[in-house]
Amino acid sequence: MKTKACHPERSEGSQSFGRRRKTAEILRSAQNDKSGKGRLWSLKFTLNGKKVSAQVPPTRTLLDFLRLDMRLTGTKGACLEGECGSCYVLVDGKPMNSCLMLAPQVQDRDVTTIEGLAHSKKLDVIQQKFIDCGAVQCGYCTPGLILAAKALLAENSHPTREEFLAGMEGNICRCTGYNKILRACEQAADAMGLKK
Amino acid sequence: MFYQPKDIQKALGLKAELKERGAFLAGGTDLVVLMNHGKAAPENFIDLTHIPELRAIHKHNGTLELAGNVTYAQMGKLPIRCLARASLSVGGPGIRELGTIAGNLATASPAGDGSTALLALDAEVELTSVRGTRRLPLEEFFLGYRKTALAPDEMITKIFIPTNYQTDWAKNGKRGAMNISIVAVAVAITPKKEVRIALASVAATPIRCYQAEKFLAKNGLTTETIRQAVQSVRGEIKPITDHRASADYKVHVSGVMVRRLLESLVKQ
Repeated sequence: MKTKACHPERSEGSQSFGRRRKTAEILRSAQNDKSGKGRLWSLKFTLNGKKVSAQVPPTRTLLDFLRLDMRLTGTKGACLEGECGSCYVLVDGKPMNSCLMLAPQVQDRDVTTIEGLAHSKKLDVIQQKFIDCGAVQCGYCTPGLILAAKALLAENSHPTREEFLAGMEGNICRCTGYNKILRACEQAADAMGLKK
Repeated sequence: MFYQPKDIQKALGLKAELKERGAFLAGGTDLVVLMNHGKAAPENFIDLTHIPELRAIHKHNGTLELAGNVTYAQMGKLPIRCLARASLSVGGPGIRELGTIAGNLATASPAGDGSTALLALDAEVELTSVRGTRRLPLEEFFLGYRKTALAPDEMITKIFIPTNYQTDWAKNGKRGAMNISIVAVAVAITPKKEVRIALASVAATPIRCYQAEKFLAKNGLTTETIRQAVQSVRGEIKPITDHRASADYKVHVSGVMVRRLLESLVKQ
């Protein structure tokens, strides 16, 4: 799924975001410089099954921390106001918008990002069904949607179509391939032997 | 500085010391959004997400006690129809895991869904500081546009809700999900057959329609009295025209929603 011919300057980090993103980033780092004075937060938490310790500016969002410090760029940022769901991660198994959390808030918590779903190079069944069903277009919303589906299926072992729609209502796909996404989720539920 | 107290007393101690220079942080669905949009971060954060007792829900003698950090996801599972439905109408699953009821009250948005449902329920809030605890009816908590009775050293520690009201909820928005209300309505009938009508997004704060309530308490709930109460509601609300809808539309649709909710409550 990795694009090799990616523009080098746009492949990672904050540069891949739009103008508003850059402004927010700059203003925030300026703020850090003013009040931070090297006061970093000693963050300890579990990330994709591994214990992680890091020093982080406390005003850094979990999204920024994951992408810029941990270099886990599967988690995407788009609206930065909780409207789009592309930044979803699982915190203690619950879906949360990582753009709205400050990194220190996951202290002692268990965080799963899209990178943590596959095990020993075998994709999670939801990931596999997204590929099988062609539920990926530009792919930007995909990590968030897969984590939303993961959380939903963990809580509700046999969702109805309505329940699927409610479980995914926090995620926006602007390629609007919603039917295939829904099909992928339903097939994943079937494959997990969960759906009645 | 970023503080992460593990109990309420520590958090209150910090707030008493820092006052306006320290901001409580829970879901971040307002505060962090503003920061992402370039607004300066508060000087100090007091993170409340690591205080387990602020997530508790208890029931005492027919009264439900929600601690301040109870999330929309938690409230969505409560057997109180207007509050559960209001909570499930907020954002998507991620937002509902983050956003808290105390945050919804403290931000005092005119469009606050949770606040509106709680108004119809005659909810009371417990405000705590190192100076002590006071209990306030929610109607007295909202003072004006994004203004509340919360003192600079206080925290919303509990919300008290009766469990014996018959309630319902409706929301009018642009979409089926991730919706900010154009108008939202919560209605309730108390055990004494009094009526409560609360609306969001039609005034500077979530409001109650007292005249319509009094009229219905006096004259009972019939098709005709509901029709007259609806006229009263349309007179009591003061919506503004904004990018979501015109004031005229909001006045009209508020009446329609109140009528439908009351009629369905009568039928139940």
